Amino acid sequence: MPVPAIEVVNLEKIYTRRRGEPVRAVDGLTFSIAPGSIFGLLGPNGAGKTTTLKILTTLIKPTSGHARILGIDVVGDPLKVRQHISVVIQESAVELFLSVRDNLHTFARFHRLPVDEIERRASRVIAQFGLESESSKKVMDLSGGFRRRVQVAKVFMVDTPVVFLDEFSTGMDPILKRSVMGLLRESAQRGRTIVLTTQILQEAEELCDDILIVSRGREVARGDLHTLKLLASGVYEVTMTFNRVPEGLETELAARHPLRLSVSATTVEIALKEPEHQVLELVTALSKRAQVLRVEIGGASLEDVFVQLMLDGAHETPEHAAITGGGR
Amino acid sequence: MTALGAVLYREGMIRATNLTFIFWDVFYPLGYLLVFGVGMTHAVGGALPGGLDYNAFFLAGVLGMASFGIASNTAWSFFMDRDNGIFYEMLTYPLSRSEYLIGKVLFNVLIATAQATVTVLLAGALLDVPVRFDLLPLLVAAVTVGTAGWFFFYAIFALQIRRNDAFNTVTSIFYFVFLFASSMFYPLEPLPEVFRRVAYANPITWQVDVLRYATVGIGEPRVLVMESAAFCVFTAATFLAALWSLHRQE
Repeated sequence: MPVPAIEVVNLEKIYTRRRGEPVRAVDGLTFSIAPGSIFGLLGPNGAGKTTTLKILTTLIKPTSGHARILGIDVVGDPLKVRQHISVVIQESAVELFLSVRDNLHTFARFHRLPVDEIERRASRVIAQFGLESESSKKVMDLSGGFRRRVQVAKVFMVDTPVVFLDEFSTGMDPILKRSVMGLLRESAQRGRTIVLTTQILQEAEELCDDILIVSRGREVARGDLHTLKLLASGVYEVTMTFNRVPEGLETELAARHPLRLSVSATTVEIALKEPEHQVLELVTALSKRAQVLRVEIGGASLEDVFVQLMLDGAHETPEHAAITGGGR
Repeated sequence: MTALGAVLYREGMIRATNLTFIFWDVFYPLGYLLVFGVGMTHAVGGALPGGLDYNAFFLAGVLGMASFGIASNTAWSFFMDRDNGIFYEMLTYPLSRSEYLIGKVLFNVLIATAQATVTVLLAGALLDVPVRFDLLPLLVAAVTVGTAGWFFFYAIFALQIRRNDAFNTVTSIFYFVFLFASSMFYPLEPLPEVFRRVAYANPITWQVDVLRYATVGIGEPRVLVMESAAFCVFTAATFLAALWSLHRQE
């Protein structure tokens, strides 16, 4: 059986505070990640995603439990772990006084790449990230979006087998984001393991082949996209575009307690957990109230699954909140 | 490239973006000596105990002050690294925490050594300070260990204090206490007993006394050996404390 790229067993992190109760940020997480997969760690704010990532990247030590990267214990041999990982932290992290090219050079030197190889890779990465015209500018003179580009570009300078990305797409325009997602997929196909956290669930849906949803430091659901969608079976997403949205429709629809509802001038998007025939009846009823330009009915998206799990979790005691899907 | 080399490269690259700063670092002790030293020589008039004029006496003081200043500036760069976010990213790089600390001070030790060499050479040439060039290796060692020791000392506070305005207050207090309660600006012998005791417990005094011996050959060898040993212990202790502080970053 191959060694998992990442193995986490009963991981706990409790932050003690001078004033107030200790905070249990990670509460008994156990999971493993296969090499070459793109793993999404999802959860609401304060769910423990970043804390988990900080433990895996040796920034902090767990209170108890174990975590291993390629079989190396993060507490026992943190330096060896760091030789195998590269990290995009949530906050902006760039050398402001250095040029874009020098940022890439400096990062690669820490990973002991030969100088000629650094130069070759820097030119390639600069082109991949659309940084050609900015390459000799100091990063302090660039916008926040460009700074984030530089930060993410750094991990493509090196060949570390494991990459951690904490909300990597913050501040990126959609075109660059697509391109970076493509690069991440290519990296994973070549055997690199990617671990990412994101608040943008569509991103995770498109990118991740293995997802763990956490809340209050605990596993809520685990599996690939299809497995997770089974957890929200019976959820339908309806999108209807009218010539104009009928008056009072938003209030009427809100009364059905949908998982998600968005109403614009002409379009209604609603995610409902109701029997199929009721959903069809709703669509029929709505189509009689205004001219319908477009109707789309689909199954649950990852966002619907996420919302439903979080709502379910909010109504349950923490002891009974865990719902575990399939997965590796 | 080794991890230490990479940190050294990084520090060098950042400092090289501001050559004025490097120029200032290298030449400001000499400027201090030319303004303050010459002024005091004329104000005090005549020779100090030991037959030295004030310029010769103050040469070691100015070198001690310079390494103290470089150390506090280097420690302050932790705040800059935190603001840039790069501090936490660097902690995920393939280097140990001790390599990070040592690498960070290494470039500044080189600057401090260049600074000491320039200051000593020009003090001899311009102010007729009777420099003991045969003791240059000791001077380099005293500057190296001194700069490192003070950097580790300041790093303890820079790593524990989260606000740079609070750190600035701390450094101002240290400047006041360490620099004036020491043998940096004046000989300790004529001073009141209490002041002398405080000054002899001050690591700046230990460093400046060794620097004074290394520059103009003044000092009691037995005392200097003890002071050197004490400063090495101080450096080792502050290194361990700074390392502990770095490990506690969460």
